[in-house]
Order: sequence, then C-alpha cells, then structure tokens
Amino acid sequence: MSDTTPSRAGAASVASARVRPVRLRRRSRRLKVWFPYLLVAPAVIYLLLITLYPGIYAIIQSFYAVKFGPWRPVGFDNYIQLWGDYQFWAAMRNTLIIGSISLILQCFFALLLAFYAYRDPWVQGWRIIFLVPMLFMPSAVAFIYKLAFLDGRVFSDILIRLGLIDYNLAIQSSTWMSRMVLIIADVWQWTPFLFIIFVAALQGQDEEVEEAARLDGASWWSIFWNISLPLMKPVIAVALILRAIDITTMFANVFIITKGGPAFGTETISYFIYRTGFKSFNFGYASAASVIMLILTIIIAQVVVKRAFVSSRS
Amino acid sequence: MASVRKSRSESLFIRYLILGAWALFCLAPVLWFLSVGLRPRVEIITPRPIYWPTFSLDAWHMIWEDWPMAKYLRNSVLAILGSVLIDLVLAIPAAYSLSRYTYRGRDDIGFYILSTRMMAPAIVAIPIFFLFRNMGLLDTIWALMIIYAAVNLSIVTWIIRSYMLDIPKELEDAARTDGASDMRILWEIIIPAVLPGIITAAVIAMIFAINEFLFTLLIASTPDAYTMSVALANFTGGSDGVIYNAIALVAFLAFVPVFLVVVAIQKHLSRGLTMGAVKG
Repeated sequence: MSDTTPSRAGAASVASARVRPVRLRRRSRRLKVWFPYLLVAPAVIYLLLITLYPGIYAIIQSFYAVKFGPWRPVGFDNYIQLWGDYQFWAAMRNTLIIGSISLILQCFFALLLAFYAYRDPWVQGWRIIFLVPMLFMPSAVAFIYKLAFLDGRVFSDILIRLGLIDYNLAIQSSTWMSRMVLIIADVWQWTPFLFIIFVAALQGQDEEVEEAARLDGASWWSIFWNISLPLMKPVIAVALILRAIDITTMFANVFIITKGGPAFGTETISYFIYRTGFKSFNFGYASAASVIMLILTIIIAQVVVKRAFVSSRS
Repeated sequence: MASVRKSRSESLFIRYLILGAWALFCLAPVLWFLSVGLRPRVEIITPRPIYWPTFSLDAWHMIWEDWPMAKYLRNSVLAILGSVLIDLVLAIPAAYSLSRYTYRGRDDIGFYILSTRMMAPAIVAIPIFFLFRNMGLLDTIWALMIIYAAVNLSIVTWIIRSYMLDIPKELEDAARTDGASDMRILWEIIIPAVLPGIITAAVIAMIFAINEFLFTLLIASTPDAYTMSVALANFTGGSDGVIYNAIALVAFLAFVPVFLVVVAIQKHLSRGLTMGAVKG
C-alpha cells in the first residue's frame, strides 16, 4: 500500500495542474513554457507507474529468495543459478528458434501476397479475407490448432487421406513437430498484419515510376525487386520490429497448445517466467529472468527500434 | 503481341492461384472451427475426425446456461471500453504536446512512450501482480482496465500523434490570431480534424485489449473478473477434457463485432497497426 500513495498524489497534482495553465496562460509566460510538458505528463506518469515501478520492483526482488513468507536476501544467487539453468537457456533458444522461423515465413508470405494483391482489382476483398485469422482471440486460435493437430488429429488424418503417411503422427512427443504447430499457428494468425502494411506501402508508391519502368519493358517482378522493395525497406523494418516484439513475447499458444513440452522443447521465455513465478512460486528467480529480458529489451529498443522509427518518419 | 498476352494470362493464373491458396489456408480452419461449434460433443474427438457432423446447438445452450457467459461478456466489454477511455483521455493531450510543440526532451519523451510497447508482459507481470494484490484490485475489472490502458497507451498516443502531424500549421495559427487558447484549439480544431485517427486508435486498442492474455490470466483468477479470452482457457471441464464446441462458439461471438468494426475502418488499418509509421 505504502508504495502506491505517492503515485496517487502525483497523479492528482498533475490533474489539477492541467486545468490551471488555461486560466493563467496570459498572465504567466513561465507556465506557457511548461504547458506542453503538462499535457504529456499524465500519460508519461501513467506509463512510468506501469513500467518503471515494476522494473525497479523486479530488480530488487531478483536479489531475494521470494517464496512464501518473508523475502530472504541472496545477493546474486538467482543470477548465478540462472546462468547454469539449462531450462532458462532452452527457453531463450526456443524463443529465438520459433520466433525467427515464424518471422521469416510471415515476411516471405506477406511480401509474396502483397506483390500479387496490391494491383489486383479485388485487393479490398483479399484484404478482408486475409484479415480474418488476425481478429480471433489468441486463446481461440490456440484451441483451433490444439484441436487440429493434437486432440482432433485432423492434420494427421488429412496426411493419411493424401497417402503421405499411414499412421497418426505423435506430434505431442516430438519437439520439432510441436514447434511446427506453434509456428504454423503464428504464421496463420499474423501474416495478415505484415500483408496489410506491405500492401499499403506498395499502393502508396509513385505510380509514374512504375509506369515508366513498365513501358521500358520491365517485368512486374523486376519492378518489385529493384524499385518497390528498396523503397519499402523502412516500412518493412518497422513492421518486422513490431512483429518481432510480439513473437518473442508469445505466450497464449504455448500456454494452451504445448505447455512448453515436450521436455521444455517449446517453452518460450515468457512461459519460463510465468512457470517459475506462478507455478513454482519462485518469484525472486523469475524476477531475475525478467530483469535479463528487460535489459535485452532496452538494448534492442535503443539500437534497433529508435533507428527504424526515426528513419520511417522522414 | 501474342506472347505478351500469353505471359499476362499466365501471371494472372499464378496470381489467383497464390492468393486463392492463401485464402483457403485462412478460411478453412475458421469454417472447420465453426462446424466444431455447431456439432454435439461426441463428434469432436473421435478416432477419425468427422468432417460432416450432425448439426447441434448444444454448445450454444451450454455457454449461456451452464456458464455465466453474459457476465464474461460484460466484463470484457466494460474493461475494454474503460481502458480505451483512459487511453484517449491521456493520449490526446500527450499526442497534441508531442506533435504541435517544440521543446527540450520532446523526442525522448515520445520515444519513451513508444518503447513501453516493447515491454514483454512477462517482464512486469510479477510486480504488477503484487501491486494489484496489495491494492486489493485482483479479480476486479478495474485492474484489467488499468492494465489494458497501459498496454495500449503507447499505440494510441503514437497513432493520434501521427494524424496530428498531418494538420497544417496554418489552421492553428489562424485560430490563434483570433485569440483562441491552446486548449480551445485542441478541443475545437485539432480533435475534430483527427477524428479518423482517434477512431482508428480506439479500434486498434480494442483489438489488442481483447487479445491480451497473460495479464488477464494472472489478474483474473476467479470467474468474477474473467474476460472472454481467459474464460476460454478455462473451458476445460476437468475430467471431461476441453469443451471445444463451446470454445468455438465463444470465439466466434468475440470475432463478429471485431470483424465488423475493423472492416469499417480498414482504410486506416495499416497506419494504425504501424503506429502511424506507414501512411496507408
């Protein structure tokens, strides 16, 4: 309770401060200077409470053994233990493997589809059809794929009917097939995200350049490859970054479809933190993993995201 | 000439083959899942899958009669609308400040807001869980509202900011020479001009709020605060296994309104999804 009181007081004073400058504006030049800060302050304070406060809390907690009862200080023990924890490294590796395969496939399909769809007369219709998977709740999508691949064995059945295999696949006990299910579910749901952005970028391009190249006898493919794609680079960067963020935090599919199995083969870093924190109640240890994620996030945000968003604006 | 026409029809064939194949890949699981929702439970998990099931509304009755689905629906709607409202109240002045004023630290503040979008829910999940527990907000829709608003605030701010950047400066200057105050300019000129951006931002925030899963799972641990998304994950009737037909119907129940709203704003979608970085 004690750590929430100052924040409430802060929010209240900002709220009242926001009203004041309107009345005093003509009287005080100093307030005029502060006015833009006052406008942006409530949003920033709100976000600081939800990110900075938990961030500091996690950092402190990561130096304690927190189970039930009082916190016991343990120094760097959590981090040392994490360094030697093969489940943690497996989670990092899985996140990277599942995320990068999924991202590459989505980018490939989205570019291919955007290339064919953007100059199609029915582009509007394609867009609406392709959008459908994206608008289902992640938990619903997870159940679709759980039923199709695991419980209902529809995938196996289709392959059997096509004569490709002659027995049901044991997907649940195969690491790579379980990862494949997660990847397919993600590609299915989120390729449209990239598709919509790429189509918009292609449609926004200068038609005259395209027309001129076309009259010179260039094929659609070479126009796309040599003219459109280089122009789209900043857009692709922004879209892929946004997608990469969401893929690395993939949780619902893992939680519902694989539960991280078999043998931690599909456990992502988000699921690892959830499991050590809320299943094993090893909060200090989970916080240490959170802090490492936080550091990685800040580095990536500063290096990659800042550049991508700044270049896309110009 | 003939060869040109031939290559053209060939490329049309490939175009429709590829687009058609993807459309099938998109829709087949959806239609099949709909059929799962409209069949009796005994026809869901069978030795071999059944593709032409008997029609049944068992699941429909089940979700309304055996489960407090109306309550989950109400929780979802209240939490989402509340969060979008919080977002707009905070984001509109912030976006105005970031787009129409020049001051020290502006870009850093803007980037800080953007960077919160990158925070994995898992990183802050544990502290937030304790924070809400200490405040006695666990299992309430207030907690969900606060969290959804926080998750989406960066997106909403950046989308609205992007639309505000498009408004010509002259419009504002004219009003200012007429003696209008900054707040009046925001209220009477800027907000009406960026209304499409505000609506887009609200819709995108709504989609992400419906999709939010990890926080909801942690914050809503009793049916009192279940939303549709998390209620789904709990439709496992213990020894009965997962109740897929009920899950399928709830999934469609949540899908239909979202789909209609998104189709209505689809022109603005690409811009919204990239937080204004791509102008569609």
